[in-house]
Amino acid sequence: MVTEPVPEFETQDLLINVGPQHPSTHGVFRMVMEIDGEVVKDVIPHIGYLHRGAEKLCENNDFRQGVGYMDRTEYLAAHNAELSYVMAVEALAELEVPARAQWIRMILCELNRLSSHFMFFGAFGVDVGVFGTPFVYAWRERETLIDLFEEISGDRMMYAYFRAGGLAWEVPPNFKERVREVLKSSRQGVKDFDGLLTENEIFIARTKNVGIISAEDAIEIGMSGPSLRASGVPLDIRKTEPYLFYDQVEFDVPLGENGDVFDRYYVRLQEMEQSMRIIEQCLDRLEDGPIMPERMPRMLRLPEGQEVYIRTEAPRGEYGVYLVSKGGNKPWRLKVRSACLSNLQALKQMSVGQYVADAIIILGSIDIVLSEVDR
Amino acid sequence: MTTDGTTPGGDQAEAVEAAPIDTLEDTIWAAVNRALTALDVRPERGAWDLIVHVPPADVIRALRKLKHDDELQFNYLRSLTGVDNEADGVDVVYHLYSISKNLNLTVKATLPPDDKVLETATTVWQAANWLERETAEMFGVRFNGHPDPRTLLMPEDMTDVFPLLKSHPFAEIELLQGELLGHERGAGDGE
Repeated sequence: MVTEPVPEFETQDLLINVGPQHPSTHGVFRMVMEIDGEVVKDVIPHIGYLHRGAEKLCENNDFRQGVGYMDRTEYLAAHNAELSYVMAVEALAELEVPARAQWIRMILCELNRLSSHFMFFGAFGVDVGVFGTPFVYAWRERETLIDLFEEISGDRMMYAYFRAGGLAWEVPPNFKERVREVLKSSRQGVKDFDGLLTENEIFIARTKNVGIISAEDAIEIGMSGPSLRASGVPLDIRKTEPYLFYDQVEFDVPLGENGDVFDRYYVRLQEMEQSMRIIEQCLDRLEDGPIMPERMPRMLRLPEGQEVYIRTEAPRGEYGVYLVSKGGNKPWRLKVRSACLSNLQALKQMSVGQYVADAIIILGSIDIVLSEVDR
Repeated sequence: MTTDGTTPGGDQAEAVEAAPIDTLEDTIWAAVNRALTALDVRPERGAWDLIVHVPPADVIRALRKLKHDDELQFNYLRSLTGVDNEADGVDVVYHLYSISKNLNLTVKATLPPDDKVLETATTVWQAANWLERETAEMFGVRFNGHPDPRTLLMPEDMTDVFPLLKSHPFAEIELLQGELLGHERGAGDGE
């Protein structure tokens, strides 16, 4: 170690570019880091590589067609994205959704949370440096969930299964058994991850006290979801403003203490337990019945001059849909509030003062989906 | 809702009748009105949340008051975006949430089409930073005093095209496809 500064040498900060094509950026995300030795001094994120104008597209398509575009914004939790959209249309059209459809929606959304968090563990494990093992474990578990989604909707990722008013079609007759089967393997999967990472000394050394963000800052930046709850803020829309039947099931909201990378990991792990608890209660309550309202208009037309902002708790945080109607069968304006976009704003605050290698796991711990950021 | 849901006339007539007796007593309007007492604000009932229309010049003052009011404490900015109403100008819409009180409020400022300038809300919530950048590039709204007025999703040099304005043409290929499919052109589709 050099103890005295050497005045003859001039040092300057180095700009390094990460992405847009880089495995650790989880998509097409680019950031320019200003570094001093190994320490990050500034981070400038560049986004927009995946911008496809989903909002403009929705304005030019009718209410049925919008569901497909929602899938493509949040492709790792498409059920949750669809839910916000159809709820917005239902709120303005004043459609009464049958109970069976609501319970099935809840089950699928929670299953989607599981598959999305498994994806997070796999990718995050790679970021931390345990290449291979967690990734393959996560993929195995996620695959069982995706198989189930495929059996129900016919597609592995772009489900387009929810409809304004209910669901596109009935679930397969063995739905309950299949969900229980998948839950069993997911439960084992969560246990495996817990054993593999949570008490792993290297993992803890790399994640504890890294990328800390305080509760006040997280609120100020507009973070939501597990990333916000890791800082100890008990904001879970399923609890604070229950939608579907979340007020009729029992579950806890896991909270972190320090708001560091480890907490963001651990909150997600605990959340999965709660999701499985919710699904089991839903399965017990699920009864036969219609999945669409009896008197469903053939062409959906919304009343003029109405607007609504729907927010739901997606795996990455608050997925909001702001729908403005001026009559007719198309939205006048449809805005998607992306949880990842708001969470990503915190990247700079979390990374400055940390090591370059830690900046990668900090980015991983926010769990971004770039197609949701850019829309 | 009527049986086929296609008679907007009936809905409108109901709305006109309901308007005079709408006292907004079940909403947080009383508290909001008290917090914004010096300002010229107008309430409106939204489908879920209360909407407050605020003159553009007073928006930041109003937002700051709402954030620091003891009874309301709107400390969380859910969303910030624009809505193009063509000749009626562009609405800038703020969706606020109070974590401690579990309250929601929508704040709206209508900007005239030829003067789309607003004070930045980044001084109230940091969360507004990227959201305002997006609103600026999509609707051509200028946010005075914004700390980082670059484009967010659009290319850096694309500062004269505002894609989410209704006057911005939808891509020609999409128009063509729409016509082939027999869709009528919507108000915003034309050149």
